Parts: sequence; structure tokens; C-alpha cells
Amino acid sequence: MSDEKGTIPAIIRLQDVVIGYSSANPLVRIPNLEIFPGEIVAIAGPSGVGKTTLLRTIAGLVRPISGIVEVCGEISPSRPKRGELGYVPQRLGLIRHASVLHNVMLGANAGHKPRWSPIPSSMAKDRAIQAISSMGLSEKTKEPIRRLSGGQQRRVATARTLAQSPSLIMADEFLSELDDETMSTVLSAVTNYIRENNAALLVVEHDVSRARKMADRMLVIDDGRVNPFITETTAVEVKV
Amino acid sequence: MSQSRVIIVLSSILALAVFVLNGMVDDWGRLSGGTENLVIFIQESLWPPDWSVIEPQAYPVCTVYPAFDFTCSTAWIGMIETIKIAFVSTVLGMLISLPVSLLAARNLNPSWISYPARFFLAASRSLPSIIWAIFFVILIGFGPLSGVLAMTVYTVGYLGKLQYEAIEGLTKPPLDASQAMGLSKTETAIGVVIPECANDLISQAIFMFEYNFRHGTVIGIVGAGGIGYYINLYLKFLQYDKVIAYLIIIFVVVILIDMISIYARSFFNEEGDAKAPSWMGVFVPEIISSRLRRLRWE
Repeated sequence: MSDEKGTIPAIIRLQDVVIGYSSANPLVRIPNLEIFPGEIVAIAGPSGVGKTTLLRTIAGLVRPISGIVEVCGEISPSRPKRGELGYVPQRLGLIRHASVLHNVMLGANAGHKPRWSPIPSSMAKDRAIQAISSMGLSEKTKEPIRRLSGGQQRRVATARTLAQSPSLIMADEFLSELDDETMSTVLSAVTNYIRENNAALLVVEHDVSRARKMADRMLVIDDGRVNPFITETTAVEVKV
Repeated sequence: MSQSRVIIVLSSILALAVFVLNGMVDDWGRLSGGTENLVIFIQESLWPPDWSVIEPQAYPVCTVYPAFDFTCSTAWIGMIETIKIAFVSTVLGMLISLPVSLLAARNLNPSWISYPARFFLAASRSLPSIIWAIFFVILIGFGPLSGVLAMTVYTVGYLGKLQYEAIEGLTKPPLDASQAMGLSKTETAIGVVIPECANDLISQAIFMFEYNFRHGTVIGIVGAGGIGYYINLYLKFLQYDKVIAYLIIIFVVVILIDMISIYARSFFNEEGDAKAPSWMGVFVPEIISSRLRRLRWE
């Protein structure tokens, strides 16, 4: 894959990685995976197979059992620079009692405020407001998260990540619970961001047809339910 | 667990408690004379309460408008001082306990940081506030400052424990998201942890104020200021009718503070919608009081 992209460095590079929470029970083996700027890659597979754990491993929240995990030029356990990695967890990770703006400002601060500064920059605030508006939530800016619907909360989590201006967005089923119209708004905002900023998107998607539509490449994690001849759960790239 | 096993386990625990109690009591016959003694004590010493405690003191001379001359009484002065001690010690205690509890939370820090912080909180909680009050009275002398310091130390330990338990109860996704974003520990604490736990933290602080008020009435007995000082004074002179008057006043104020506390905390519940508390709700559980209210309207 690196030959195809010439000298452009990969944003994510996994080399013979085994992931899981203990070496006694490894979840998935990923022989080789490289994701380059501007790419959208979907991870699909049956539930409980380790898709979320793969995302958490790349996000630096879980240590790989073995192999090399390189994100934005940093090899695990060293972490990417502040704000370079945006993560939309499956359970969103929003602060339920705080406002939409507060939640989105967390992402904006990670991307546009120095760690040592106590005051958010005007750029961070502009970026947060822009991200909220791109998700169609301008009227909900001051609303606490607990008063929003599931779909609106999902949009806030996406806005938080966009406000961060990351080089890599990792999203765990970020389109579920959204109606068709909202889904296309969210998807176009995220894909536009990826194309315009030459960032990368790694998305976990249980709906394979939706994954095929949005992704440039697709990785299927198979525990034998797709290919009965495999001996261990492995991530394999399939044609989109 | 089957129902019969539950019954066996509960009966065994009850039997064990009775057995232990029996081992501690040398003569059960002493209980039989208790009621008679209580009646004599109430009739001859406690009742009726001596309400002179809400009349202005002879010295210093009261100069306020006559309708407000109760503000010169020992009951009012002592009560206000107790409320002040409770308020100041809750605020100071919260200021100290919050950063310590952030350090003590195991989901935010490694054990080499969280355990010393927990040790500090456990140390300040291990002695009851009255023992701290004795300690500070010896150290800096009689008066409300000793009370404030004693209650503050105890508040740090007690409130700190409630706070770090609330912080540890925080769900993982917000912390995961902030770690993935690269937010610093301070940013995570201020931007994620405190706002997410804010309702619990505020509710606990209000509860702590109420708790400190109740205990503030006791620490005065050892000379640390507040209404307890006057209670102790009249206990020494065996003027139990005045003591019961103070106790009734404390009871009424505790109920008032409890009502205000329920009302204030209702702003910080899950939905954030305040519900006006009822007098009945203070004394009886909500499920019974709501039925009684319904009966009254039918």
C-alpha cells in the first residue's frame, strides 16, 4: 500500500498486531494495515468480534498484545500530538449535564488551545461554533446534553471531533440512530472535512452496505463466520 | 438465592445480633425501671420548656427594635453562630476536599497518587468532629474558630470520600474521549470530571452543610462555639427545662434546613426540575405522604 501512495507517510500503520485485553485471550490479529491521508476506511464484522477494541487500541486506550501500532508518526505507547486524533466512542462520551457548546469546546480546546493556557483561544470558539452549525445544532448550543435525543447527541459527539481539526477521525458507529436526512448531513460534513483537510477516517460500521457506500476501503474482522476456513480471528481487507 | 435461604440467612444474622447483645448486657432487669424514671424526669425537670432562652439577655443591653429583640437571645445568637460555623466549614472543606478527591479517584490517577490522597482523607475522617473540636480547643482556645477548624477537617475527610466515590462512578466513555483527544489531567478534571459529577458534588455539599449544622450543635459542648455552648452551660446547672427549649429550637431549625436542602438538591437531580417539598414529606416517606395528600383532596 505504501508503494501506491509513494512517499506520503501513513496516518495509521499496524504491523502484525494482536489486540485484546489479555494475552491469554487475544481478540483479533491484523497482519498489516496502512491508512493514508484523505482515505476513508470502514471496519465491519459480526458483533463482539473486536471492532471497538481495535479502535480503542489505535486511540491508545488499550495496549496491543504484540506488534507495532503507529499513529500520526508515533509508535505506541507514545501518543500522537494533542488534538491530532479525534475519537467518537460508541457510547459518545458526552458530558450529560453540560451544554452542547461546553462539550464541543473540549474538542476545540484540544485542537486549538495550548495545554498550558487556561483561556480558550478565539479560534477554538469559532471552530466550535462552526462545527455545531455544520451538524445543524445551532439552536441547541446552550441546551444540556441530557435534554437532547439520541441522534442529536451523536451529532454533538461528531461536532466535538470536527472542532478539534484532527488528522485522523475514528468513529464507532457514529451514524446509528440517525434518520436518513440527518445521516446524509452528518456524513457529508465529515467526508467533506476529510477531503478538504487531507485527514483520514476510520469508521466502525455494522451495516455493511452503508460501509461500502461511504468507504474507500473496507476491513472485515472475521472470526470464522464469514470464512469458515480461518483458524483465528483476523482482519482482512475486502473490495468495496 | 431461594426465598427459604434468604429467610435462613436473615434469621441467622438476627440471632447472631441478639446473641452478641446478650453477651454485652449483664442485667436485663434494669430496663424495667427505665420508663418510670423517664416519666419522672420529663415531669419534674424537662417539661414545660423554659422559653426564656428566646428572650433578650440582660447584658449586653439589647438595642434592636422590640419586635426583633429575640435576636439578642442566647438561642438566636447560638443558633446563628452554629449556622455560620457549618457554612464556613462546608465551604472551606469543599475547597480542600475537591482537589484531594480528584487525586484520590482511582479512575483518574495511578495508585501511587490515589492511595496517599485516600490516606489523607481517611485520616481526617477517622476522628469524629467532636474529638477534632477538643483538639483545636486545646490548640487555639475556646470559640467558634476552633469549631470551624474542627468541622473543616472532618468535612474534608467525609466530603472527600463522597466526592471520590462519585468521581469513580463516572462512566468510562467521557474519560476515554478526553484521553484520546489528548486533554491534560487538569483539563480533564475541570472540563470533564467536575461538570459530569456537578450534580452529585453540589448535592453532597448541601447534605454536608446540613450534617455540619447538626454536628455543630454538639461541638459547642466542648467549647467550640455555637448553640452547644449554651446547652452545656445549662446542663451543668441542671436547668433541663432550658436545655429542652434549645433542643426543640434545634429540631425546628434542622427540619427547616432539611426542607431547604431537599428543595435546593431538587434543582440538581437528573432532570434539573425543582419540586417544592412538603412538611409531611420531611417526616414520612414520599410514597406515603403522596397517598395521604391524595386522600385529603378526595
